[in-house]
Amino acid sequence: MQELLQYLFSGITNGAVYAVIALGFSMLYSSTGLINFAHGEFVMVGALSLISLWKGLKIPLPAAFAVSVAVTAAAGLLLERLALRNVRKPHPIVLVIITVGASILIRGIAMLVWGKDSHSSPSYSSHPPIDIAGATLLPQSLWIIALTLLLVLGLHVFYKRFLTGRAMLATAINKKAAAVVGIRTDTMVLLAFAMSAGMGGIGGALIAPLSMSSFDMGMILGLKGFCAAMIGGLSSSWGAVFGGLLLGILEAMGVGFLSSGLKDASAFVLLLLILYFRPTGLFGKAVVQRF
Amino acid sequence: MRYLILIAAVLAAGIGLSSPYQLQLLTFVGINTLLAVGLNMLMGYAGQISLGHAAFYGLGAYTTGVLTVHYQWSPWSALAAAIVLTVICAFLIALPLLSLSGFYLGMGTLGFGMIGFVVFRQWSSLTGGDSGLVGIPALEIGPLSFSSPRSYFFLVWAFAVLSIFLCERLIDSRIGRALRAIHDSERAASSMGIDTGRLKVHIFVLSALLAAVGGFLYAHLVSFISPSSFDFLVSVRMVTMVVIGGMASIWGALLGATLMTILPETLTVFHEYEMIVYGLIMIVIMILLPQGLFRGVLDIYEHARKKPGRTSAGSRG
Amino acid sequence: MNTPGRSPDGLPPVLGVDSVSKSFGGIQALNDISFEVLPGDIHALIGPNGAGKTTLLNLITGNFPADSGRVTFDGAGLNGRKPFERVSLGIARTFQNIELFGSMSVLENVLVGRHVKTGCGFFGAMARFSRVVKEERDARSKALELLEFVGLSEAASWRGTELPFGWQRFLEIARALATEPKILLLDEPASGLNPVETASLAELLEKIRNSGITLLLVEHDMNLVMKISDRVLVLNHGMKLAEGTPCEVQANEAVISAYLGREQAGKACCASAS
Repeated sequence: MQELLQYLFSGITNGAVYAVIALGFSMLYSSTGLINFAHGEFVMVGALSLISLWKGLKIPLPAAFAVSVAVTAAAGLLLERLALRNVRKPHPIVLVIITVGASILIRGIAMLVWGKDSHSSPSYSSHPPIDIAGATLLPQSLWIIALTLLLVLGLHVFYKRFLTGRAMLATAINKKAAAVVGIRTDTMVLLAFAMSAGMGGIGGALIAPLSMSSFDMGMILGLKGFCAAMIGGLSSSWGAVFGGLLLGILEAMGVGFLSSGLKDASAFVLLLLILYFRPTGLFGKAVVQRF
Repeated sequence: MRYLILIAAVLAAGIGLSSPYQLQLLTFVGINTLLAVGLNMLMGYAGQISLGHAAFYGLGAYTTGVLTVHYQWSPWSALAAAIVLTVICAFLIALPLLSLSGFYLGMGTLGFGMIGFVVFRQWSSLTGGDSGLVGIPALEIGPLSFSSPRSYFFLVWAFAVLSIFLCERLIDSRIGRALRAIHDSERAASSMGIDTGRLKVHIFVLSALLAAVGGFLYAHLVSFISPSSFDFLVSVRMVTMVVIGGMASIWGALLGATLMTILPETLTVFHEYEMIVYGLIMIVIMILLPQGLFRGVLDIYEHARKKPGRTSAGSRG
Repeated sequence: MNTPGRSPDGLPPVLGVDSVSKSFGGIQALNDISFEVLPGDIHALIGPNGAGKTTLLNLITGNFPADSGRVTFDGAGLNGRKPFERVSLGIARTFQNIELFGSMSVLENVLVGRHVKTGCGFFGAMARFSRVVKEERDARSKALELLEFVGLSEAASWRGTELPFGWQRFLEIARALATEPKILLLDEPASGLNPVETASLAELLEKIRNSGITLLLVEHDMNLVMKISDRVLVLNHGMKLAEGTPCEVQANEAVISAYLGREQAGKACCASAS
C-alpha cells in the first residue's frame, strides 16, 4: 500500500509536468494545426533559464520564474515570426522539418550558453519531505501540482472570459471566419505560439528541481508530452491534462511494479494503444487530417 | 546517362581517394543513400511518412551484430536473418497502422521507432545496452576480404547503386504507376482497381528492408554499435534527407543523403556553433526550396532558361 | 434510338439495386431505391441537386455500405466488396470533379486503368522478365488504342492536367475503359462542356455502348439525357420519383414540377432527328 502511494505521488508529480508540456502541444495544434517538434526545447530553455536566474544570479524565485517563461515565450515568438511565417508552401512535412531544424538550432544555442554539463536546481521551498502513510511526498510535488492547477484554471478563464481568449478559440475553429469578423488572425497565431512556448517553459521551470537539467533534456520530454497530448486528444485541453497525468501515473506504476527499463517505453506503448483503439484520443473530437 | 556519371564518380572516388577518413565518409554516404532511397519510396511515392525508421536501421545492425558476435553466424547468413526479421516486423507494424490516416500513421511509426530504441537499450543481455555491442567482424566473400576502407567503399556503393537501379525499375512499372496514382489521388487509384492498402504495406516493408540492409552494412563497417545511433534524431535525419533532397525523386534521395552526411562534417569548422548552423541550414532550405533541392535547383535552371518575352500562345485575350 | 422495354435478348440485368436505403446522420440520402440496369442500355439517373444521385453511385462502387437493401452485379451480390475489388468484377466509374493523376502523362493515366488486367508484381518489375516486358508492351498498345477510341491519340505524351477541360473528361473515360468494364458509371460527364463537346461526348457514349458496355450516367444536361438514354430514373429527395423511357419521364407531371420545368417538358422528345 505504501509502495502504491509512493508510485502515485511520483506519478502525479511527473504527470503534472507532462500535462503542462502536453497542453503546449495541444493548444498550438488547436490554434494552428501544427505539431511543433521543437516544443521539448522550450521545456529545456525554461528549466535552464530558471537555474541560471535563480541559482546563478540569485534573482528571487517568482521573478526568475516569470522571466524564464517570458524568455521561452519570446523564443516561440521568434520561431513563428522568422521561420514559420515565411514558408511559402506550408506542406505539413515541410513544417515538420522546419521545427526539427529549429529544435537543433535552439539546442545548439543552449549548448553555447549553458555548456554540456548538467545543472541542478534547489526545490522551491526548503520544507523537508512530508511523510504520508509511509510514503514520501516532496514539497516540490505540491508546488508542481498547485501551479499546474493554477495554469489550467487560468487558461480556462482566459478562454471563457477574456475577449482575446475567445478570439483565439475562434481562430482555431475557423481561421477564415475569424478573419472575416475582424479578428487579427496573424496576431492570434503569434499569440498561440508564444503561449505554447511559454507553457513549455513553465513545464521546464517546474521540473528543474526534480532532476538534473542539461541542454539535451528537451527531446525525450517533448516526445513524452506529445504522447500525452495524443492520448488525451490533440484538440482537447482537458485531454492533454488528463493524458499527462495518466501517462505519469502509468509510467510510475510500470517502473515500480514491472521494470525500470520500461520507463521510457511506457509513453510510446500508450501512444500505440490509443492509435489502435481511439486515434482521436480519449477526449478528442474529429481531428483535422493534416498529412 | 545518370548511371554512368554515378558509377564513374564512385569509381573515381574509390580509386582516386586515399585518405581512410574520406573513403569512410563517402561510404557513409552510400549507406545513407540506401536508407534515403527506401524512405523516399515510402514518402515521396506512396505518400506516407515514417518517423521511426531508425528502428529498422537498428534492427538490421543489431540482428547481424548479435548473430555474428554471440552466435558466431556468418555475416551473410545474418544478413538473410536480418532481412527476414525486418520484413516480418514491418508487416506487423504496417498492417494495423496503414488503416489510419497519414498523420496517425506518422505518429504510430514514431511510437514504434521509440519502442525499438528502448528495446535496443534495455535488452542488454543481447545488445549490450548502452555500452553497445563490440567485435562485429568484417565482411568477406570467399577469399575476398572487405576490411580495407577502399574495398568496403566499393561494396557499399555496389549495394547503393543496385538499390537505386531496382527502385527506378520499380517506379517505371505497373507497381510504380499504381504508387504514383495513390500519391496523386488515392480515391481515383482505388477506383482503378488498385488495392491501395496492400500496396502501401508492401512499400513500407520495402523501405524497412532497405533500411535494415543499410544497418547491416553499417554494423560491419564500424564493428561497434550502440543504441544512440538509432534514436529519434536518426529517424528524423532520415526523413530530412528525403525531404531536402526532394521527395518523389530517387536521385533527390541520393542528393539528400550526400548532403546530410557530408554537411555535418564540413560544419565542424564552426566548432561549438555547429548545431546552430546545421539547424539554420535546415530551416533556410525548407523556406526557400520546400520542394527539395533536386526539384528546386531544376526549377531554377528551367526558369532561367525561359527568357522574358516568350509568352505561351493565346495567353492574351 | 430510344428502345422501350426490356432487353430483347432477355438477358438478366447487369446491375440490380434492391430496396437500398442510406442515411448520413439525420439525413435520409436514399430511401428504398430499386431499379435494374439492362445490359447494353444507356441508363440515366437524373434529379435535382441533393436528390441522392452521387450517393447512389458511390454506393454502387462500394465507397460505403447501404443501411439496408442490396446491390447485385450480374446476378451476384456485392456485399462488403471493397471499391477496388469491384473494378476487377467489371464496374468502372468517372468522377464529377475530374480526378486525373496529375504527375502522369495522358498515356500513363490510361495505363493505370490497365492495372486490373495486368499482373506484374514487385519482383517482376525489378527483374523485368520477358513476360513482364511483353505485358507492358501490350498494355501500352491497348492504352494507345483507347486513346484513339476517345480521340486523344495526339495528346498521348502530354501531362494529363495540361489538357483542355473537355479532353480531360475524355481521358478519364478512356482510363475507366482500360479496366475493361461491363458497366461504366459516369458522374455528370457533360458538366463543364460546351455544346460541341457535349455532342462529341454523346457520340462517344453511344460508341461505348455499341461496343458492348452498359452505361449508367448521372446527368443534368437534359438534351444529352433525352438524346441517348434508353431508360431514365428520376430521383428526388432520395426517393424514386419516376422511371421509364425518356419520353415517358419527360411527360411525367411529378417530374416536370419537381425538376424539369414546363419548358423542357414542352420539347417533344420524339421530334428530335433520328
